[in-house]
Amino acid sequence: MNKANVKVVKAKTKRVLNVLITYCILILVAFIFFFPCLWLILASFSKSGSIYSFDGFFPAQYGFDAFKSLFTDTVMYNYPRWFANTLFIAVMSCILGTLLTILTAYCMSRFRFKSRKAMMKATLLLGMFPSFMGTIAVYLIMTQFNLINQHWGLILIYSAQAPMGYMVQKGFFDTIPYSIDEAARIDGASNFTVFVKFILPLSKPMLVYTALTSFTWPWSDFILPKMLLIDKDLYTVAVGLMSLGETEFARFAAGSIFIAIPIIVLYFCLVKYMINGMAAGAVKE
Amino acid sequence: MKIVEKFKALPDKIRAIPKKLSDKLAGAKEILTQGNGKVTASMLVMGLGQLIYKQWVKGAMFAFIQIAFIVYFVLTGATDLFGFFTLGTREGNAWYGVEGDNSVVRLIMGILAIMIIVLYAAIYVSNVKDVYRTQCAMDTLKKPADFKQEAAALLDKSFHKTALALPVIGVCVFSILPIVFMILIAFTNYGGDIVPPALVDWVGFANFGKILSLGQFAPTFFKIFGWNMLWAVLATALNYFAGLGLALLLNKKCVKGKAIWRAFPILAYAIPGFITLLGFKFMFSYGGPINYYIQQGGGEAVGFLGLDAKWSARFIGLAVNAWISIPSTMLLATGILSNVNTDLYEAARVDGASSWKQFIKITLPYVLFATTPVLISQFIGNFNNFGIFYFLRGGLYADGYFLASDTDLLINWLYNMSIDNNYYSIGAAISLVIFVITSIISLTVYVLSPSYKQEETFR
Repeated sequence: MNKANVKVVKAKTKRVLNVLITYCILILVAFIFFFPCLWLILASFSKSGSIYSFDGFFPAQYGFDAFKSLFTDTVMYNYPRWFANTLFIAVMSCILGTLLTILTAYCMSRFRFKSRKAMMKATLLLGMFPSFMGTIAVYLIMTQFNLINQHWGLILIYSAQAPMGYMVQKGFFDTIPYSIDEAARIDGASNFTVFVKFILPLSKPMLVYTALTSFTWPWSDFILPKMLLIDKDLYTVAVGLMSLGETEFARFAAGSIFIAIPIIVLYFCLVKYMINGMAAGAVKE
Repeated sequence: MKIVEKFKALPDKIRAIPKKLSDKLAGAKEILTQGNGKVTASMLVMGLGQLIYKQWVKGAMFAFIQIAFIVYFVLTGATDLFGFFTLGTREGNAWYGVEGDNSVVRLIMGILAIMIIVLYAAIYVSNVKDVYRTQCAMDTLKKPADFKQEAAALLDKSFHKTALALPVIGVCVFSILPIVFMILIAFTNYGGDIVPPALVDWVGFANFGKILSLGQFAPTFFKIFGWNMLWAVLATALNYFAGLGLALLLNKKCVKGKAIWRAFPILAYAIPGFITLLGFKFMFSYGGPINYYIQQGGGEAVGFLGLDAKWSARFIGLAVNAWISIPSTMLLATGILSNVNTDLYEAARVDGASSWKQFIKITLPYVLFATTPVLISQFIGNFNNFGIFYFLRGGLYADGYFLASDTDLLINWLYNMSIDNNYYSIGAAISLVIFVITSIISLTVYVLSPSYKQEETFR
């Protein structure tokens, strides 16, 4: 064998090794991320609810009892009701929050008005406060407005706070060329028309991203609903599942799967938008 | 944002303030001296000048706002404003059936009243300016805009005012008011025994003195602060580099079926955080699967997250946090990597640079450059990561701490103190301290970062 041949063989083994190691790491990563999910899925099919009856990660016996009791045994834990509550709150907050956030971001990106810089700095600064201390105040405000123990109170808070996170959307609008606006304005379109007819259709990825994030926040939030909702029938799923103990583990797992599935489906359908949205918001400060 | 230059420019800005003020005063003076009777009428009664100019709708609207404000002020506004300073004067007594003032509500309604007054003042000024504009238009024989035109302008020239009205009100009431409230609470004695119906009072900086001097708070504060810093640095670094590494791994040419491999981390990302955290809590609990295998192997059940667990609970926290956060960093890095100029790699390969060198010299600087703002917000998010130890361990109180345990971050301590144990004012003071710390750190990091230093490198 001559020298060149050795070199080729060496390079080849190196490449094969490289591929092998890559796939080993990938399999390990996939396992790490998938295993806890698999565990929860298995747990939801266990016959006995308590975590103490498991053989390690695996239920001793399998069955559909947890799902059955989740939807039928609603005296103590009214899961269907919680689910409907969560869906209602999340959908309403998503619609209102997206609308307000997009409007804010668009104005901040396209209009140059007097207090614009001040507002941008203020939101940046306010975002650094440990926000939950403010929840005491939010609670008091809600008692003053008589919105405790009501879903609309939560929706109001979620949608009103949503515009604080307009930076990502503003970054996106900044990338849409001004020439589009100008051309439309020359044709006599008002700013409102420009926004609705030209800018919005171009911002579909950002709309999807905003809607998704403003849907998942109320969907999985627990601090606010725990504080504002008193009746067990008004609970959201997050608050309800938190009240389950170790003996109700299977029910917890089953309930978790139902709350996680819609989000997972949404994410997988929209992952492209997510990546673009995040990148757009990150590069632009 | 160029923070350093901003600071350097500060003296100039301060010098510019008198000029700005005098400009504003000149504008006001012009209206006062040049304004005719109708302007004066609008100053006395909002909208009156507009009505005299036969701008019926606008005039009526201004007049209505004034009436509404007066009604509000007489009914509740004045007492609310007064209550802001006194924080209530009548102590409630259930025994005698006396319904006293609720100091905390007084404070909130006081802040709200101040906000409403500021808003009213702004409308008042715009009312005067508006009638003066009409006067100028009339004097120069131009036709002032009629109501239809002005309404159309709300969707055109001043579209931003229309669009921003609702968001601004919402943010003011539900984001700014709570923060102002919290800041003000730090200067009162609210908490402990002094909760409504007892009356709360302003105490100045006493709470900050207490944190530093009082035996209870200071040692716990510094202990937790040390761990909190360590946690934030470790967690951010781990999540960032692991997420970046994962994105690079998935970007490799030899990886087939990228979408499938990517699906696993995304699955983890999509599951709501509280489910993940509670699931891991079950996993490491006494009866959980990990302990099951330890017992099968002949060992004793370990309280990974129990009261005595220090480092084991901390490591579990770090790992679980990584499990939750790495996928989002991965997605972000994937998006950014797709924007890297591939010519750079081509050139590097021609020059014979190893892949490690390419990573250090091209990929890392670019990604760091693009993600510094995200990195800072992730750092702050980790610094104030409330959920992780709240769900994994809950409110445990360990020896050597005041109402906290080894894993608690400052934010968890705040929660234990203020929500569970009523130390509201101390909690508010500490959260102010946290705010100052996090903003100093993030500003420093930002100024030192490549995206600040070499703003133009990648453009």
